[in-house]
Amino acid sequence: MSRNGERIVLETQDLAKNFGGLVALNGVNFSLRQGEILGLIGPNGAGKTTFINVVSGVYMPSRGRVIFQGKDVTFLPAHVKCRLGIARTFQLIHPLTDLNALQNIMVGAIFGRGLGLREAQREALAVADFLGLRDPGRPVSELTALEVKKLEIARALVTRPTVLFLDEAMAGLNIDETEEVMGTVRRIREEGVALCVVEHVMHVISKLTERVVVLDGGRVIAEGPYEEVANDERVIKAYLGEEG
Amino acid sequence: MPALSCKKRIWAFAIALLAVAAVIAVCKPYVLIQGLQRGGLYALIALPMALILGVVGIVNLAHGEFMMLGAYFAYWMSVSTGIDPLVAMIPTFAAFLIVGALTYYGTIKPVLKAPELNQLLVTFGLAMALTELANLLWTSRPRKLPLPYAYSSATIGHVTFGTFGFAYLAGALVLLLLLLWFLRHTRSGQAALAVGQNPRGAALVGIDVNRTYLLVFSLSVALVGAIGALFLVGHSIFPGVGSPYTLKSFCIIATAGVGNLPGILWASVGLGTAEALVSSFRGYGGWADLVFFALLIVVIMVRSYRKRVT
Amino acid sequence: MRHLRYVALAAALTAAILFPFYSGLYLRQVAIIILIYMGLALSWDMLLRSGQLSFGISGFFGLGAYAAVLLQLNTGTPPLVTILFGGVVAFVVAFLLGIAVLRLRGMYFAIVTLALSTIFMVVAKNLPSLTGGVAGKMLPSVVFGGDSVKTYWLALGVALLTVLASELFQRTRVFYALTSIRDNELVAKSSGVDVFRYLVLAFAVTSALQGLIGGTYAQIYGFVAPEETFSFTFLLLPMAMALLGGVYSTEGPVLGALLLGALGEYLKLHLPYGHRLVYGVIVVIVMLGMPRGIVGAVRTLAWRVGRKGGGR
Repeated sequence: MSRNGERIVLETQDLAKNFGGLVALNGVNFSLRQGEILGLIGPNGAGKTTFINVVSGVYMPSRGRVIFQGKDVTFLPAHVKCRLGIARTFQLIHPLTDLNALQNIMVGAIFGRGLGLREAQREALAVADFLGLRDPGRPVSELTALEVKKLEIARALVTRPTVLFLDEAMAGLNIDETEEVMGTVRRIREEGVALCVVEHVMHVISKLTERVVVLDGGRVIAEGPYEEVANDERVIKAYLGEEG
Repeated sequence: MPALSCKKRIWAFAIALLAVAAVIAVCKPYVLIQGLQRGGLYALIALPMALILGVVGIVNLAHGEFMMLGAYFAYWMSVSTGIDPLVAMIPTFAAFLIVGALTYYGTIKPVLKAPELNQLLVTFGLAMALTELANLLWTSRPRKLPLPYAYSSATIGHVTFGTFGFAYLAGALVLLLLLLWFLRHTRSGQAALAVGQNPRGAALVGIDVNRTYLLVFSLSVALVGAIGALFLVGHSIFPGVGSPYTLKSFCIIATAGVGNLPGILWASVGLGTAEALVSSFRGYGGWADLVFFALLIVVIMVRSYRKRVT
Repeated sequence: MRHLRYVALAAALTAAILFPFYSGLYLRQVAIIILIYMGLALSWDMLLRSGQLSFGISGFFGLGAYAAVLLQLNTGTPPLVTILFGGVVAFVVAFLLGIAVLRLRGMYFAIVTLALSTIFMVVAKNLPSLTGGVAGKMLPSVVFGGDSVKTYWLALGVALLTVLASELFQRTRVFYALTSIRDNELVAKSSGVDVFRYLVLAFAVTSALQGLIGGTYAQIYGFVAPEETFSFTFLLLPMAMALLGGVYSTEGPVLGALLLGALGEYLKLHLPYGHRLVYGVIVVIVMLGMPRGIVGAVRTLAWRVGRKGGGR
């Protein structure tokens, strides 16, 4: 599998989003290549989650385009984009509490991939196994923090996405748990999924990603391998500005 | 709250409105008078609901029932002690502050954190129970107080009309001003606004969220109870008298926009006038009730469509 | 264990079908009204499972009733067909209304459905040439000529149809769709669920059932009139039944219907008025203390006991 995949699988052109008077995204040009693990970082309020929301169809952009595998998918609703192969996890964990863990995953299998109930269950079990989520018939309330994170990823992964956005999938995990999830992310990439990882923990970004995009104030301010970006003046200023 | 685009839009709307009002005043003066009076009553009843719904986000489907109970309370006070219902508004207000507080602790507070559905269901059950309770206690026989001043009239040109109805409009204006003053210039009012916008944030800043909800809810119930006393003057009352007003209040709030208190006055008068207009055409009187609901559905459809585009 | 459940179900079904043969006229009539309410309670719950609260039960019930009666009076269609027609009319109206309104949810949707009953009532009162106005319309004869055994089986059939629909909603992909929508629409949407489509269909199907039941009611009692047919009791009582028995299930509303139906009969003997007070209080108490109703409480208890005993 080519690590520096040539083919661009997802790109956005001049993507913008306003909420009334608030400008959340201000012309984002972004590309994600096949087989890539891309890091998306930026200070709080930079627009990372909004970006994911617009790309995945939860919001409609005010300007710009989203191109997925060569097709313009800008205004397609979220459930259609999911079926096409754009998946994402949620930052604030939202497991569906009226369903047990396995059923949570099945939702993605049934509606994201159009499987029948039996097949969906088999696929859900397989994905749970792949992620190391044991005994998935348990109610969601019994899962540990790490298991809930895995469930969140499982739900997105079972839809067999081409592109997967992980929104702070490692927040709140300890060192061992973080290592485990990082390994999982690499295994997901080996299955052929292009990943975009949003994280605040820089150690993770530096070890996991080949390329990093830095967002600030709704714009891309830097792009490149982590070492370059981390020493970029503008990036340092953006983060310092946050602390000040 | 949706941002109103520009002042021009408001001005154009206001002018169009005045033009329509002028036309009606000339062709069918009674319609305008009725519209103002009825609209005043609708606004008066809708404002307390707008307070809890628009400001702190609590839905109370038993709103009309509290008005009905207030009316009965004033009625019995009047019958047993001889005082005028207008005077009885004060003890009614006080009594219903307590009623509101009890209702809050008993039924609202427990479901505040639960989904909106629970509030709807609980207050719906409460509304039904209260109506039926009134039925059991006082039967469905309508009651009315003989009050000469309720029938006072005046004449302008060749048009003679009842004047008491304008008390509702005046009351609505006064209430609106009082509420706006309360929300903007008292600490409790500002707390209420803060809690409505962001309960967690408000708590972090040190606002006693529970006390705010309690205060605003009790205030709303007390107000609508006292309004019931005022209602008693101009109408005959029966157990089911309050319930249409709950729905109509909601229609008005939805039309004006949740959180837009002054808009309630406009919406009420507009709807009251539309209702009176429909009533004025002989044979269509029965359809007047639908005006509100037709408008509600139109407003919701428009908002629904707009949402589709975002 | 599973076999026991099937045996129990089969036994209950047989008992229900054979009911007219070991009960008198009075009990049969009580059973008929319970079955009607049961269907309404179930159909209300079916929509609730999607997270949407509809106050439109009495509206669509009345709509179906009027549709059935008017069809028969104006075209002489056989009674059973008019019942189906009631369901179809309700389906179409709900479908169109749903498309228009269901992008807004929660409170707005609930209030619109609350207004429905009043709207239909006003329309019924004000089109006397079509609907008979305030006096309503009477059928020349009730279905099956009033034979209470056949009428009971009709009501039972309609109730069983609703039970079947409810089970379909519980055991097919519809369950996953509605439950995920109810739990978190955003997540459901992002997992591929077409939320709007499922909501509109759920609303249309459940309203169709209510219309069907309304048509059945009209044929059994032989008349429709604005105040009686659109009465809020047809709204409040099914809700109380579903809440008491336990929402989000088939067993819950069925149990609630049996319990409150029996209670209602008892009340009628000792308390001529004021039933709505009891039902209203039940709704409030259940919402405050036992939101998942009896079935929910039993399930939680069983789960807790199971954990203490087994412990994985």
